[in-house]
Amino acid sequence: MKNRSWIIIFLFVILLCAGCWLYITYPDSREEVVGIYQNGELVEKIDLSCVTGQKKITLTGKNCKNTILVSAGNIEMESADCPDRLCVKHGPLERGGTPIVCLPNKVVIKFEDDSGGADARTGG
Amino acid sequence: MRLLQKCCVLFLLAAALCCSACDLDSRYDSEFFAMDTVMTITAYGSKSEDAVKSAENEINRLDALFSVQNEDSEICKLNRSKSITASPDTLALLKRANEVYTLTDGAFDITAEPITRIWGFYSGIENRVPSPQEIAGALKSVGAEHIKISGRSVALDKNTSVDLGGIAKGYSAAAAAQILREEGIDSALLSLGGNVRVIGSKPDGSDWNVAITDPDDNTKEIGTLAISNAAVVTSGGYQRCFEENGKIYHHIMDPDTGYPASGGLKSVTVISRDDALADGLSTALFVMGFEKARSLYSENSALFEGVFITDEDDIYITPNLKDIFSSQHNYEVIEI
Repeated sequence: MKNRSWIIIFLFVILLCAGCWLYITYPDSREEVVGIYQNGELVEKIDLSCVTGQKKITLTGKNCKNTILVSAGNIEMESADCPDRLCVKHGPLERGGTPIVCLPNKVVIKFEDDSGGADARTGG
Repeated sequence: MRLLQKCCVLFLLAAALCCSACDLDSRYDSEFFAMDTVMTITAYGSKSEDAVKSAENEINRLDALFSVQNEDSEICKLNRSKSITASPDTLALLKRANEVYTLTDGAFDITAEPITRIWGFYSGIENRVPSPQEIAGALKSVGAEHIKISGRSVALDKNTSVDLGGIAKGYSAAAAAQILREEGIDSALLSLGGNVRVIGSKPDGSDWNVAITDPDDNTKEIGTLAISNAAVVTSGGYQRCFEENGKIYHHIMDPDTGYPASGGLKSVTVISRDDALADGLSTALFVMGFEKARSLYSENSALFEGVFITDEDDIYITPNLKDIFSSQHNYEVIEI
């Protein structure tokens, strides 16, 4: 009886650990989910695979105004009234590419799960 | 009943074990705006949240000293009044900048600020091509001889202004990394607008993989470096640039000519233990061009390693990167 109870306890612990491991490592399918952030705060999360038609999102900050264009599988900065408009010149957000950033308005648009490949990217 | 009791005790023990394992792997990420760019810090360990917040505060503190855009910064006060009693950090960074200036024979020059300004590479100013007369005028106040440092006193000549943007991120990365280490972090990754610094290895013990952006397509990479405990900084003319009359003008100015550097390179990546040096050198080597950069490396191979992409798309790496650089493209190892 004593041995049997230890076996049950052992199996219980193994199952518990396996459950924890699966919970921690199970990949969630968010490949097309894009986050729009302003001042480090999440403004909106969009699953590009679920978008039908076109949608425009306007973000107003202290220094300028951005208009984001969202369509099926695509997101880009349509317009910005800051002088350099680097975020507009960036073009559509692409997997593996750099996030769309508007520095004057502190806006970042990026894939929520962009962990494929390298840990970091350096560029000039 | 006894079995149930044992199960409960073991459940609590297992839960405690899981929690401690999770704690070892606990990760904290922060993304924030500073130094006119987006920065991210990722750290692992039980104290990662507090450590990352301290590192972020340190970067913001240094940004408030070094920013050329913030009217209240020490550097703006220096540019305005031409004389200040500098804080220890500003003094240390000005001296580091001077070291890189000397090492690179003036290719890295913080007094190039008036040139960068007339080309419109500051927030709130439109990019434009200045006239040759304007450039010649701006060049008169460029050069380290226009800065005088005596003790903590720093003075600039009448029309000289400084911009620490080419080295401040490196200095700040080192300071932030130091804070993370002091707070017990052994594994962290800092990306200060493309200036990458890694502390230790990844939590699984493997090296960090840092991709170098393809200058012709920012969704692609030209290669990857597997590194630990090092800084990786890239300078290139492909992200901040403008077009006028069909010609592209980028933001890295040659302090000798007053025009965007044209040394025949698309991108230079510097790998070093010294963050500020890596930052300053990446700009300087881009300005110098490949042959001069190779010559500088051969005399200072203990200080840094490099990856160079030429205008003809040839890729060159320094010899000590052979085992840590991987690429799908052909590349050549520099002979020294």
